Amino acid sequence: MSDANIAAGTLVAHRRGTKLRSVLGYAGLIVLIIAVMFPFLWLLQMSFRQTLDINAWPPKLFFSPTLEHYNVLRVGQFPKSFTNSSIAAVSTTALSMLLGVPCAYALSRARFSADRQISLWILATRMAPPIAFTIPFFLAYRYLEWSDTVYGLVLIYLTFNLALVIWMMRVFFDSVPRAMEEAAYIDGASVWGTFLRVTLPLSAPGLGATAVFCFLFAWNDFFYALILTKSQAMTAPVAIVNFMQYEGWEWGKIAAGGTLVMLPVVVFSLLVRNYLVRGLTAGAVKG
Amino acid sequence: MSNSTPSAVAYPRATAGSWESQKRRQFVYGTIPAMVVLIIVTVLPALYLLTTSFTPLDLTRADATMWNFSQPLVNYSGLVVDKRFTESLQKQAILSFFTVGLQLLIGLAVAVMLNSRSRFVEAVRTTFLVPMVLPPIVVAIIWKVLYTPDISPFYWLFRSLGWEVPVMISTASLALWAIIIADVWEWFPFSMLMILAALQMMPEEPLEAAKIDGASNWQVFRHVVLPLLRPTIVVACLFRLIDSIKAFPLIFIITQGGPGTATEVTNYYGYLEAFNFSYLGYASAITVIMVAAVFLLSWAVMRIVGTEVEIE
Repeated sequence: MSDANIAAGTLVAHRRGTKLRSVLGYAGLIVLIIAVMFPFLWLLQMSFRQTLDINAWPPKLFFSPTLEHYNVLRVGQFPKSFTNSSIAAVSTTALSMLLGVPCAYALSRARFSADRQISLWILATRMAPPIAFTIPFFLAYRYLEWSDTVYGLVLIYLTFNLALVIWMMRVFFDSVPRAMEEAAYIDGASVWGTFLRVTLPLSAPGLGATAVFCFLFAWNDFFYALILTKSQAMTAPVAIVNFMQYEGWEWGKIAAGGTLVMLPVVVFSLLVRNYLVRGLTAGAVKG
Repeated sequence: MSNSTPSAVAYPRATAGSWESQKRRQFVYGTIPAMVVLIIVTVLPALYLLTTSFTPLDLTRADATMWNFSQPLVNYSGLVVDKRFTESLQKQAILSFFTVGLQLLIGLAVAVMLNSRSRFVEAVRTTFLVPMVLPPIVVAIIWKVLYTPDISPFYWLFRSLGWEVPVMISTASLALWAIIIADVWEWFPFSMLMILAALQMMPEEPLEAAKIDGASNWQVFRHVVLPLLRPTIVVACLFRLIDSIKAFPLIFIITQGGPGTATEVTNYYGYLEAFNFSYLGYASAITVIMVAAVFLLSWAVMRIVGTEVEIE
């Protein structure tokens, strides 16, 4: 009996302690969320401020929002760079999926003896510093006269996206049961028919997530585009940096450009948020 | 009718044979195009890079220096005595050590905090994705704004409080820390997500057994949870370590390697040698060293992930 009382007593004390701690915990969380979101939101609000308000002293907490910076972006190089980014990202995604998906499937089903070596090669490709590919591609494009072209960018983006597709899709295919493929084959489907009509639909979420990742990595690229493009094939991230270097510090314009570049990224990442760790670790971890 | 019996026997065998051989052909046709392209875009450039690293290639004197193998090791012997290179390795080590260390510590703390608060986990996790999925160039711009006194809300705050705070990005001793802070903000969610996923898949039994045995929360964490998290933490650490070698946009936008050479890490030095000074041969040698480091680390990742799979 007394044991039970003591137990109950400690339980109450314990609860009180837990309550205080959980309040503190939630307060800590809220501070953390602000710390994480604040820098991002600051850029967002800056893109709607008038130039005078950005540099004002004392700083203005409240301001009348304006779209002037976005309107400025509609003329000049920026729309074209946005198109270039989109074309490069979409084409490299399509190509990587087309080449990489059948390969991932084969690697998942056939146990090649060189499996480990292939995996290491693909992981190392994914991990290599961009400059390792930039120097040889830069020299080759100089010779082939492919610098400053969108297709040149698409080709170099394959270095990371093809490896990404193979890594990610392989894990998705591993989870599609073979028995279903065999059943379809016995029902008279060809091997490719089985692949297209049974395996692919079963791994549709994986296909979607992988494609989104390819798009994002190509879209987010800065280094390759910085080195391999000048004007014709310039992508949106490089165009924004040029606002910094050649046109003085037009912060409103830079913030507006940055906002436009990050908009598709934020939307797409929310779509694939459950696969994010897997995508970012290039499939080495089942996230 | 007499034919029906042998064909009925032959039918499944023929199917099995053709299924197998058709499958094998499918694997070959499925693999070859991707492998061919992958060889063209990765193996050939890697060999080309290695080859250039043995030449004194200088694009301003391309005719004399391209494919010139008269002194194959000149770049590598130059690296050993190049103070700017060895100092860049030092800065790289500082950057990698502090970014990876802080990201793991903060990531672990936040993951543990979130793990017990199931109601908020989903919403908070989504919020924390934002820094690491933003285009790196946008992250760099955001921090450039926050570090530029004229327009930074932080410097406004300091100024209205009357504090004299040095301009981090133009102070040699602080500039690398400015990069470290921005990098930690961008990437701590990565280790947090990995650790959180591991925590949520952790078996209940050992934790409860330890509690029944009278272990305090800290003891449970220190002696049960942490050992179980070890493989996840090691993998997260290696991934971040590899990425820290590639840090570019933050440095390019925020400090341009400066002031002086205060934030000139190895990757950035390689970029300058290649594309500012046109010494592509020398830059190739720097890059070969970085690739070797990355390759070793990738191999370590494979080893760890591999053993984990085998244990399962």
